[in-house]
Amino acid sequence: MASVKLKNIKKNYTKDVTVIKGVSLDIQDGEFVVFVGPSGCGKSTMLRMIAGLEDITEGELLIGDTIANDIHASKRGIAMVFQSYALYPHMTVAENMGFALKLAGIPKAEVEQRVKHAGEILQITHLLDRKPKALSGGQRQRVAIGRAIVREPKVFLFDEPLSNLDAALRLQMRVELSKLHQELKTTMIYVTHDQVEAMTLADRIVVFNAGVIQQLGSPLELYENPSNLFVAGFLGSPKMNLLDASVVSGDAKGATVRLPKGIAVKAAVDAGRAKANDRVTLGIRPEHIQLASEADQNAIPARVDLIEHLGDHVLAYIEIPGVNEIMSMKLPGHSTDLKYGDAIRVVFPEAECMLFDAEGLAFKRLR
Amino acid sequence: MSKKLTKVVELTGQYAGLIAFAIFTTFPFLWALSVALSEDPSNIWLFPRSFLPTDPGWAWFVRVFNEIQFMTYLKNSAWISLCTIVGTVLVSVLAGYPLARLRFPGRGLIFIAIIGTMMLPSEVAIIPNFVTLKHLGDWSTALLGFKLTGLNTYSGVFLPTVAGAFGIFLMKQAFEQIPQDLIDAARVDGAKELQILWRVMVPVSAPSIAALAIFTLVNAWNEFIWTGIVIQDKAMLPLSVGMFNDLTGPFAVSTSMVMAGIVLSVVPVLIFFALTQRYFISGLDGAVK
Repeated sequence: MASVKLKNIKKNYTKDVTVIKGVSLDIQDGEFVVFVGPSGCGKSTMLRMIAGLEDITEGELLIGDTIANDIHASKRGIAMVFQSYALYPHMTVAENMGFALKLAGIPKAEVEQRVKHAGEILQITHLLDRKPKALSGGQRQRVAIGRAIVREPKVFLFDEPLSNLDAALRLQMRVELSKLHQELKTTMIYVTHDQVEAMTLADRIVVFNAGVIQQLGSPLELYENPSNLFVAGFLGSPKMNLLDASVVSGDAKGATVRLPKGIAVKAAVDAGRAKANDRVTLGIRPEHIQLASEADQNAIPARVDLIEHLGDHVLAYIEIPGVNEIMSMKLPGHSTDLKYGDAIRVVFPEAECMLFDAEGLAFKRLR
Repeated sequence: MSKKLTKVVELTGQYAGLIAFAIFTTFPFLWALSVALSEDPSNIWLFPRSFLPTDPGWAWFVRVFNEIQFMTYLKNSAWISLCTIVGTVLVSVLAGYPLARLRFPGRGLIFIAIIGTMMLPSEVAIIPNFVTLKHLGDWSTALLGFKLTGLNTYSGVFLPTVAGAFGIFLMKQAFEQIPQDLIDAARVDGAKELQILWRVMVPVSAPSIAALAIFTLVNAWNEFIWTGIVIQDKAMLPLSVGMFNDLTGPFAVSTSMVMAGIVLSVVPVLIFFALTQRYFISGLDGAVK
């Protein structure tokens, strides 16, 4: 087991094309860190640099206490699971899993014993003599993970390992990966664009965009206190409602902003740096928008555009007069009396409203 | 027209087409086989009667074995073909891999130069190759005291043919189709560049290598002009040249015997094809996704 330290890592493909623009990160020993971000944000490149499959243009990579920039991939003490499984088609499952050990010159008996042990952990001992083509997608992914386990690496690297599985299998494998981490207690770095995987698996999430770390923290921290508009919009499904607004008043104890058509909304944020009439973005998560009671004076009138029944909850897409964006709100599953075209009144609770300045940076929430 | 009738007409059409094609491609061989099996050669020029053996028997085949050095020629052909296949596969794999997977300056230019040689007819190379081979033979005799290669050696027959543009192109294409993840996985597993090539890329490319082996075999087996020029010793001749020399020309014994010889010389290639054709099925099943 080992920690991983990235010190101002940069990656250029050509002089002008920089895909990683100076990433610094400390990953603790035994931690499960998830790199998440949209396609092309540099998260996979970062992982491949840690693996030793891409050169590091600038900066320092430490695995444990060793600078690993120029160490060959096989000598870094890492094992990698690929999105496409990358199993050797001409070898049996056991040969696939033992290939690295065989190359390292480990005695046959020990290879067999380690392959068997990994097979037991992943419950694939009955598949050891099969070739990859005789396996299902889920079984192939298990073998790919098994191939990583037998090497007893200091760090596991996962490059979108569940993307090719169907939804049910993905859920099952997610749980198994989580268990595996608890069992092995090895450092794991996991790349995904699926925010659900990120939220459920990670000790800490690193949100990437355009080759830069946007935010780093525990899943809940990122969900509740996104540092900027990108993180706010990226995490959460359906995504956070983001509305253009202007500041009416603001101080360290809160802010009042105005939506188009003069609708005033309060947000519990430290708005000390905001001035009246500043352009800001108001953010509220779909589950925080509430239906107003008759007596509520501050309620905002809205119209129902679409209703989606999802069993445990209902998603309502609503339109507020004067606001261009269609907003989504999450209601309990039994709120089925809403229908298309209904005129409703909603409330944005002050404590749940977030505010972002013109540069997209969040105002600190007061909680 | 009912659905069933349409299906019947469709199938009949397809089978008729396939059968016509099969007849078109196999009829020279079938004619040769029929003539070789006809102990009485009186009908061999009558169409279509000649396609049915007259007085069938193995007499002409027996005469081929008795009257010419068939087994010697066969052995020579097999040896030359084997060396050509091994050499061609080795050169094509070793040249195709860097062209497909490694980045180095001049890569594109080298590939174009290799492909460019396909534009030239092979006969263009006969004189330069002959001169080079003669000198190589002289030098090897002078330096080593024996003839390692040169005129009238087996290596002289196959060495000029092993570095072919077609094989290199075929293997380059095959290696390019292998997913990068597989190579990366091998690299993370600790494989060095040559281990990646021999333990991952080559086994995965088995179908392409089998195809290359078959094409090379057919070419090497049928090679006539170059072999005829290089080999002067009768005992070293392969089937193509040896049989032509012995069975044709002004003193030719009989057409039936030529046909028996042809049938016998085709059989080894057919056996090789039967053994290797299963490798044509994709080798990548289950590797990725």
